[in-house]
Amino acid sequence: MLLRRIYQFLMIYALGIALLLALKYGLGLSDYVVPGPGEIGRTAAVYAGPYLLAVLNTLAVAILGHLLAIGLATAVAILGRLTAWVGSFIRTAAYNIQAYPIVAVAPIIFILLGDGLASRLLIAAMICYFPLLLSFIGIFSEPVSEIEHFYESTRRTTWRLQIKIRAFENVHKISTVVVGSATMAVVGTIVAEFIAATAGIGYSIRIALYQSDLAKILVALFLIGVVTSLYLVSLEGLGNALQARLRRS
Amino acid sequence: MSVHPGSNLKHAAAIFLMAGFLFACGTNEKLEEVNYRLKWLYNVSTVGDLYADARGHFERNGLKVHVKPGGPERDALKELELGHAQFGVASADQVFRAVAKGAPIVVLAQLFQVNPLNWIYRPGRTPFSSPDDWKGRTIGVTFGGNDETILRALLARYRIAEAEVDLFSVRYDYTPFYEGRVAFWPIYLNAQAVIIGDKLSRAGESFGFVSPDRLGVKFVANSVVATRQMVERHPETVKRFLAALLQGWREALDPQNEEQAVRLLAQVDRETPEAVVRRQLAVTRELMLPAAGVAFGKIDLDAWRQTAEIMAAQRLIPAGLPVEAMLVTGPKPMP
Repeated sequence: MLLRRIYQFLMIYALGIALLLALKYGLGLSDYVVPGPGEIGRTAAVYAGPYLLAVLNTLAVAILGHLLAIGLATAVAILGRLTAWVGSFIRTAAYNIQAYPIVAVAPIIFILLGDGLASRLLIAAMICYFPLLLSFIGIFSEPVSEIEHFYESTRRTTWRLQIKIRAFENVHKISTVVVGSATMAVVGTIVAEFIAATAGIGYSIRIALYQSDLAKILVALFLIGVVTSLYLVSLEGLGNALQARLRRS
Repeated sequence: MSVHPGSNLKHAAAIFLMAGFLFACGTNEKLEEVNYRLKWLYNVSTVGDLYADARGHFERNGLKVHVKPGGPERDALKELELGHAQFGVASADQVFRAVAKGAPIVVLAQLFQVNPLNWIYRPGRTPFSSPDDWKGRTIGVTFGGNDETILRALLARYRIAEAEVDLFSVRYDYTPFYEGRVAFWPIYLNAQAVIIGDKLSRAGESFGFVSPDRLGVKFVANSVVATRQMVERHPETVKRFLAALLQGWREALDPQNEEQAVRLLAQVDRETPEAVVRRQLAVTRELMLPAAGVAFGKIDLDAWRQTAEIMAAQRLIPAGLPVEAMLVTGPKPMP
């Protein structure tokens, strides 16, 4: 799975670079507009190391934000399933807050929390929190009648049991949502860094854009792609292992 | 004779289309269309560009110029090379970076004779008489921006090691400066400085500006650029464009035309009050107008050379770029 994911990413990246180079040589553009292979290579030789550290920094924040969002979404979704009104209220609030563009909200967060780790973490969590919440509310509010009916008729049902049944029956759906939102956490962290942080690959991309240096951006995109693929594969692996274990028990 | 039921309608439509075509040809046959990409959004630093357009100077020179605002995501130099624009505005650091990578860019005129980038500070809290006063202070800088290059040039010129100052990464939010966490904050003298200065005055605080130009660092700002092909293949268009543009700038900065210039800016930049624009215009005048008897738009060759040296010293561009070759330093059209 890992090899296939990396291989697919490399194909997409190579295709993108090939299109850019075709444009460059087709239109006779300078290295300033589209860098040539030599320029990209030279930039990679100098910046791949520091950029890799920056991407890992970003990934660390994204993972923390992602975990925070999963925990919070689970807790709120469990509360939201208690009554139809609370569930509907949380859903409406989630849809509304999700509609605000993060680029408009982020500066307020940075003014309140400064441009350190807390802001990056909060924005990463915010970006992936609402999709997780909406999915979790859907999953935890939907009774699995054929199983829950037995416990209800024998008066042995508890809220914990209810959650366990619904989570177990939808484990594949949960796994897919968690993996899907991981990409959003990475994107959220990069956006936060781009807007106001002083660390991470988003910050490096911002500086490269100031300098109109597309070669640096291409190197950054390559590293983001590789590292994100590795993270997603790890999550998928964890999800599969969890499902296999649940099936065995 | 049989008449098709829809034929009258078709004839009418054909005549209408033909009339429209002829009208379009008639109105545009003498005007050559060009795109002009500015460096930043419409503000006081673009007043002459807007003035030349609004007062019909381009049209009188046979041009229909689409004056397009710039911005952080726009790069006039890339648009020139891609053919999306024929003229643009860029700062010297952008021009050098592009030329160093083979972009066929030439400079037609220099708009700012003095770079508007300064550092604002509060003398009551952090007095400043020379760059030595920076030692131990926190200085705001946009990493990757031209203020970083200018600051590093100043530090090198006054032999201040980077370890002796604390550099703070700035964004659009001035809170760290207001709170006093950052003592010196980069600011454009003819734009934000007027607004921030007002805020500080209202709070009863005095303020001053550190001018890199006065400290001996001449780093060229906004200049009018085109591609070398444009200059070689369409010299007449370039000549007419430059004549109209510089006339627009001269008139916009003439105190006698202040009312028109302010009203024009108020139309495109509704968020800045007219009183503020008026004061911004006065500062812009000081930064842009060359010495008496010198044509507006004069290219300051020494300043361009110094800018190249600063960038080469910081390894932002290779040393030995042919500076003169990228500057069109011939006489500028006079009024």
